[in-house]
Amino acid sequence: MDGPDGVDQDRRGQWLRGVLDVCVLALLARHESYGYELTQALDRAGLGQIQGGTLYPVLLRLQRTGLVAAHWRDGEGGPARKYYRLTPSGEEAVRRLSRQWRAFAGRVDDLLLEEVTSP
Amino acid sequence: MTDERWLHALGQELARHRLTPDLTHHVVAEAAAHLRDSGQPALRAFGTPQGYAAAVVESLASQHRPPRRPPGRVRLRASQITKRYGRRTVLGPTDLTVRAGEVAAIVGANGCGKSTFLRICAGLLSPDSGEVVVDGVLGYCPQNGGTYDFLLPEEHFVLVGAGRGLDRARSRRLGRSGAATLQWEPARDTQARHLSGGTRQKLNLVMAALGDPDVLLLDEPYQGFDRGAYLDFWQHVWRWRDEGRAIVVVTHLLNQLDQVDQVLDLTPGTREAAA
Amino acid sequence: MKLLTVAEMALRELSRRRGVLVLLLALPLVCYLVRHDQVGQSIRFLLLGLAWAVSTTALFASGTSRHIEPRLRLSGYRSHHLYLGRLVAMWLLGLAVSTPFFALIAVDHAGEVRLGALAAAMVLAVTVAAPFGLLIGAVVPRELEGALILLVTISLQMMIDPADSLTRLTPFWSSREIGTYAIDYTGPEYLVRGLTHGIVVTLLATALVAVLSTIRLRTRPHLRYAPR
Repeated sequence: MDGPDGVDQDRRGQWLRGVLDVCVLALLARHESYGYELTQALDRAGLGQIQGGTLYPVLLRLQRTGLVAAHWRDGEGGPARKYYRLTPSGEEAVRRLSRQWRAFAGRVDDLLLEEVTSP
Repeated sequence: MTDERWLHALGQELARHRLTPDLTHHVVAEAAAHLRDSGQPALRAFGTPQGYAAAVVESLASQHRPPRRPPGRVRLRASQITKRYGRRTVLGPTDLTVRAGEVAAIVGANGCGKSTFLRICAGLLSPDSGEVVVDGVLGYCPQNGGTYDFLLPEEHFVLVGAGRGLDRARSRRLGRSGAATLQWEPARDTQARHLSGGTRQKLNLVMAALGDPDVLLLDEPYQGFDRGAYLDFWQHVWRWRDEGRAIVVVTHLLNQLDQVDQVLDLTPGTREAAA
Repeated sequence: MKLLTVAEMALRELSRRRGVLVLLLALPLVCYLVRHDQVGQSIRFLLLGLAWAVSTTALFASGTSRHIEPRLRLSGYRSHHLYLGRLVAMWLLGLAVSTPFFALIAVDHAGEVRLGALAAAMVLAVTVAAPFGLLIGAVVPRELEGALILLVTISLQMMIDPADSLTRLTPFWSSREIGTYAIDYTGPEYLVRGLTHGIVVTLLATALVAVLSTIRLRTRPHLRYAPR
């Protein structure tokens, strides 16, 4: 099945797997957030619907490696949610990783453009 | 599956993977909050409880297993055991040494003498040569047939407990708590013959461990267990190991072998204990 | 304590086998009713039926325990706890089965027989039958063969000429002798002979069961326990 951008979901999933943690870090760099809100933000950003089963293990790994910190807080009128925010080393990591990703993606772009425009 | 049941199953799975109760609670509560917020069914959002628990555990890898204590003194030493039935050699010279806090797995093809070796270690069968030295109290769980069809599980606990010198109340309590760790709550009026094969093996296992034996000899005790009970069984084994017992498990399922301390392969031609 | 626990569990086990209990009562009853027209014969047959029922039950009880006793032995029981516990259970069961039959005869033939001696004959039948059944169970590992041996023994006992001296070698001769004393008002030598025979057979059978069980459940010499 194809998504709105014409990429089939399997491939999108494969691409995302390598970069989901960077995207989550980038979103958390804007403001602290909880799991469901992150899935909505990722969806709005055009990365498709990320299921909880995929997202939370990523958050746990980031928490374990010390890039994000978490605490439980009551939502507005709702039940308690686990909020994540970047730690200082998380802030450092998001800058480094986004630089590395842009460099990598740029090389892929160059290669693909060359391939398409060459005779 | 309702979300309630899914969350309950997730909690059990995480406990089986030895997550701390605290962490288990957090993961379950977070999943519950997500389900509430998204309005999605649990299976769609997270997949099966088993799969999600495995993913959680993997993302926490290297964190959830407590450090091992160094093995203690030798609890079981079998030296140069041989056994023949008529002209057929069932066991060539076989050695096995298990220390307190160690798990040894006995593997090999059908008919290669795994049960025979275990029965010799238990002293239930005489070898043709060799000797076994046991330091402490033995517990033995047979492959099948170690129960009375017409007795209740509690009566089995009392019977075995009396042999170990425990009074009735204590035997029952220990039996029930042993059963609970295998996710089994014995009904008060169900005779052993009405238990499923897997549950009867749980009874067998609880009986073997009653009275805290120092050496546990388990002969494929998980026959008929479903996947969850199988994992629970191995959690039991790790717990016994952490308590300093010496455990010997006959098995033909190899997926736990990377976690045991030694493997004795009785398949002819490969007979040696690999540490 | 251990012995009593074994006895208790054996009784609990048996008491849940409804079919066995019904047959246990039916067997002596049928023996009794078949010869009901003759007082002496009917009581003699009843005694034999009682012995047959109790010994068969003991045979099967030792069969169902055969696979479990090794693990009980490992759980801290000694051999004598196991066989004596089972023996006590069979005796109690046999006495419980005898009681209604004693009452039946007491009502049926009041004043015709010596009731005290009849009670002794019944107790002796049970006393001998229990270890005898356990013995057959210990000697013959398969239950069908054991049951056939019992059948042969009982048939022999029923059909043998009472005057034949060979009859003294049959295991349940004692209750027959005391039965005769009770029914036919013979001299006390029948009573003494019967009691002696019954006690000797009981002791002999129990001793043999003890020897066989101890051998079967012995700690094998290759296994040593390190001194604690």
